Amino acid sequence: MTDANPILKADDLSKRYEDGVLALDHLNLEVRPGEVYCLLGANGAGKTTTINLFLNFIPPTTGTCFIKGIDVNRDPLEAKKHVAFVSENVMLYGNFTARQNLDFFAKLGGKTDLAKNDYYQVMRRVSLQEKAFDQRVKNFSKGMRQKLGISIAIIKDAPAVLLDEPTAGLDPKAATEFLEIMAELKNEGKAILMSTHDIFRAKEIGDRVGIMKEGRLVMERTRQELQYEDLVKIYIDYMKSEPLAI
Amino acid sequence: MWKTIVKKELLENILSYRFPLFGLIAMLLIPLGMYVNQLDYAKRVRDYDEQVRLATQAASSLSIQDVMAGTVAIKGFRRPALLSVYTRGFEGTLPRYYEFTQEGTKPGESSSSEESILSVQGKFDFVFLVQMVLSLVALLFASDVISGEKEAGTLRAMLSNRLPRDAILTGKVAGGYLALWAPFAGAFLVGLLLLVLRGFPVFGGDTPAKILIVFLAASVFLLAYFILGTMISASSSKTRTALVAILLVWAFFQLIMPKLSDMLAAIVHPIRTETQVSLEKSLLAGSLGMETAKELGRQYDLIFGSAPKGAANDEASPERKKWDPLKAGIEQGAKERKAQQLGAIDETYRQQKRRQQDLAVNLSLISPSAAFARLVADVCGTGELERTRYAEAVQAHARTLDGALFSKVKRTLMIHAGGGTSLGFSTEPVDFKALPQFSIAPASLADLFKANWKSLLSLAFWLIAPFAAAYVRFIKYDVR
Repeated sequence: MTDANPILKADDLSKRYEDGVLALDHLNLEVRPGEVYCLLGANGAGKTTTINLFLNFIPPTTGTCFIKGIDVNRDPLEAKKHVAFVSENVMLYGNFTARQNLDFFAKLGGKTDLAKNDYYQVMRRVSLQEKAFDQRVKNFSKGMRQKLGISIAIIKDAPAVLLDEPTAGLDPKAATEFLEIMAELKNEGKAILMSTHDIFRAKEIGDRVGIMKEGRLVMERTRQELQYEDLVKIYIDYMKSEPLAI
Repeated sequence: MWKTIVKKELLENILSYRFPLFGLIAMLLIPLGMYVNQLDYAKRVRDYDEQVRLATQAASSLSIQDVMAGTVAIKGFRRPALLSVYTRGFEGTLPRYYEFTQEGTKPGESSSSEESILSVQGKFDFVFLVQMVLSLVALLFASDVISGEKEAGTLRAMLSNRLPRDAILTGKVAGGYLALWAPFAGAFLVGLLLLVLRGFPVFGGDTPAKILIVFLAASVFLLAYFILGTMISASSSKTRTALVAILLVWAFFQLIMPKLSDMLAAIVHPIRTETQVSLEKSLLAGSLGMETAKELGRQYDLIFGSAPKGAANDEASPERKKWDPLKAGIEQGAKERKAQQLGAIDETYRQQKRRQQDLAVNLSLISPSAAFARLVADVCGTGELERTRYAEAVQAHARTLDGALFSKVKRTLMIHAGGGTSLGFSTEPVDFKALPQFSIAPASLADLFKANWKSLLSLAFWLIAPFAAAYVRFIKYDVR
């Protein structure tokens, strides 16, 4: 972790949906280059809403998201240049091969001059089997899809990476491989914001861990602080506590 | 970026099962439709040529005595429309010929009398295929264009990039439509090639331009349906919901609206039938003829009642000198009165019918399908424009024949005071070999566009309005 300016910044961010549900309540967080920030929380805690706001999928009710200092709501297209996204169920085109998917999303990410070998190289880096490179992805396992999703994020080479429940449903080996790649990206200086239910992996990879409940960030600990605390116990205590007064 | 979306959309469609399936259907049905209708057209042209030959032969053997006997019926044949290979339109219901007699004109039978009951469901031609089959395919191709991406989550992946939503929408519409249009265009060209190989005269006059208009109109029509499908897809979060909505919209535009418009127009503007009008005209003509005959008889009796014997046949007698101009005046007056009164009935009926038809057309144009069918039928010479021109040509030919033939023989019927009748003839020479030939002036391209501006406007509306609606829905869509 460095003291550089944050790549990702949520400033007093709130989101209330049309049906009146307050999904996010005055969230403040920052993720700096080379830092992994893990957002923990139960379903409906506001983790995915946070990511959706950073990606300008939905407009905030109040507050601002910044990516590399750019107000996401004001200039979403410029902000999205600097962020890559991997979701829980990596969304790919089933009739396309792995390379065709990678090529399409690379071009959307602004990488228009890549050759076949560049794609193969990235897929090798995430340990995708060679024989799968030119196979249609509709028959891929979840782990393979996840690897391809990370390839897409890697090839975009954006300074920020948003991950929404990336290890959900992965077998332990695939999850471990995934964390290794995250560690590499972190070492390359990427700012990584990851929402997850996986407390153990959050503790393992996160430089900072935040716990969200009912749209609020109720706790935040650094890696150093967590050396002396039991994250599982903290998490369960927060989940068991009384509903927040909103 | 836009090109990337177009390419992806095209590739995704090509790799899916529906692309080869649609290609196969189009390649089979479109050329087959053209081939079958070309055979039918060739048969109708052979029949036409034979009938014209026989009618010309019959006309050349006529004599003035036949005209005096009132047995002359000159037939004017309509040549089958060349481009009826693309759409039959009114081709089957228009009379093959009209009979021109001293009493007026009478339509001959139409070719629909030879058709089977199955023809009520629509003829198997290019327009039918585009209207009923390809429109549904276009909607189905578009059904998942947006909702499919929403469901699969790929829309989130796309939108996480520096990609404007309007580029996604226009790129997806362009790519998706291209995947639909390419097999369609290929099948159209194969059909055209088949026509050329069969010796069909596609290169004469303005035929190539008209074929091009048919192709462009079909392309625009399919694009309108594709955009309509895109609008439904953009408004649905699930493809299954979009499919249900698409089937309902298709049924409304294809099956309900075009048929409902005629019925609604008939309810709003009820008019008499053509048979009723024809009966009224013949009763009036009979009554006027009777009045004239009585007046002629009365005047004749007044002049020749006390005249010496033989004065009626002596052109130099003072009674004949008085009678001839008087008779001509009465006959001319009667002719003008008849023309004016029958013309008034015709004009009133025409106006009422035009009002009803205009309403029906305007209502039907709510459907892009009706707009497309009307436009193409007019281009192919089997539509409303051809029907109007046919009717105008019949009227003009009737006038010409009246001047060149029927008016050369004057029949004078007189009813005398005592109840007796007498019939007299006067004739002028007629050159039966030089009688004018019946023909219908072909519509120019300018005529076509003038007659179809509403159809073009309707198609333009169905291109723009659903796209605008899809755009608004897509831009405002919250990705969750």
